[in-house]
Amino acid sequence: MIPTLHTERLTLRPLTLADLDHVVLFYASDRSQYVGGPASPEQVWRMLAAEIGHWALRGFGRWGVDITATGVTCGMVGLWQPDGWPEAEIGWDLWGDHEGKGYATEAGLAARGYAYEVLDWPTAISLVHPENEASRSVAKRLNATHDGMFEHARFGVLEIWRHPAPTGGSNAA
Amino acid sequence: MTSFTIPELRTDRLVMRAPKASDIAAYAAYRASDRTIHVGGPNTWAQSYNMLCAIAGQWIMRGYGRWIIADKSDDTPLGVSGIYHPEDWPEAELAWTVFASAEGKGIAYEAALAARDYAYNTLGWTTLISLVAADNTRSVALAHRLGCHQESVFNSESFGAIPVFRHPAPGTNA
Repeated sequence: MIPTLHTERLTLRPLTLADLDHVVLFYASDRSQYVGGPASPEQVWRMLAAEIGHWALRGFGRWGVDITATGVTCGMVGLWQPDGWPEAEIGWDLWGDHEGKGYATEAGLAARGYAYEVLDWPTAISLVHPENEASRSVAKRLNATHDGMFEHARFGVLEIWRHPAPTGGSNAA
Repeated sequence: MTSFTIPELRTDRLVMRAPKASDIAAYAAYRASDRTIHVGGPNTWAQSYNMLCAIAGQWIMRGYGRWIIADKSDDTPLGVSGIYHPEDWPEAELAWTVFASAEGKGIAYEAALAARDYAYNTLGWTTLISLVAADNTRSVALAHRLGCHQESVFNSESFGAIPVFRHPAPGTNA
């Protein structure tokens, strides 16, 4: 089951085939260089299928993120732990010109709340490419702290950012 | 809430069901083997995990997809069959593969027949193709056994030239 989450400005809803064009554009751009890109449309189709199917295998995954007021899709954010990952991660990718508005932070906070309150995770990390300053800023805004490095066969050496533990109450930020 | 609605099919010996996390050992062993030489492999465990996820994910993207073929008696995963339809494919494909331990028992045939029956009688489709590499002699033989005939060649950016086999239409003698 894939739930839908609402924040002040955003709707986190199940990914569908309608998200494909956004992901294809992202992976055709330099902005994907920190997350394994660039990638061909053929590869991206399979990546999107894997994102969606991760929900079936793990019971959690990433959401498509829409700006609620306009319905415009601005990114893909959520929970990710395929085999080969060091531990359960909160990940964020923003599409096109939607950076710099706090959307990744807002969606990341909602995803973390779901992980802690619904899934009962004891902790969470985010992996950040050392040269991805924008993503590192999101991790810092979420009050995550640098907690070592992880080397992935495809993505290279990544920084581990550890999120604050659940407080037992509402969101831990 | 969105639910994964992956139907389950049952044949004499098999259950065709949604992939699950516990299938990864069998699936990764298959993807690491030379058996995947015709289908983009061999692959690492991590790649295989994403591919197993993608088997489930296509069901939401398309409304149809592939199943894990499992032994009906004990649920052991034996292979993958169903309707594969990524963006770059010429049309929806009836695909099949069995893991090494399941080869030579008619399992791919039994599963492919069930998947084709599902496409024709549940989805109401009127045609299907299968893409089978020319040197994949076992799969070519199975395509013939399923009544397919080669009608063209698909030039895939990722996989090169692959013969296109057309299945007999519903209601015709396979």
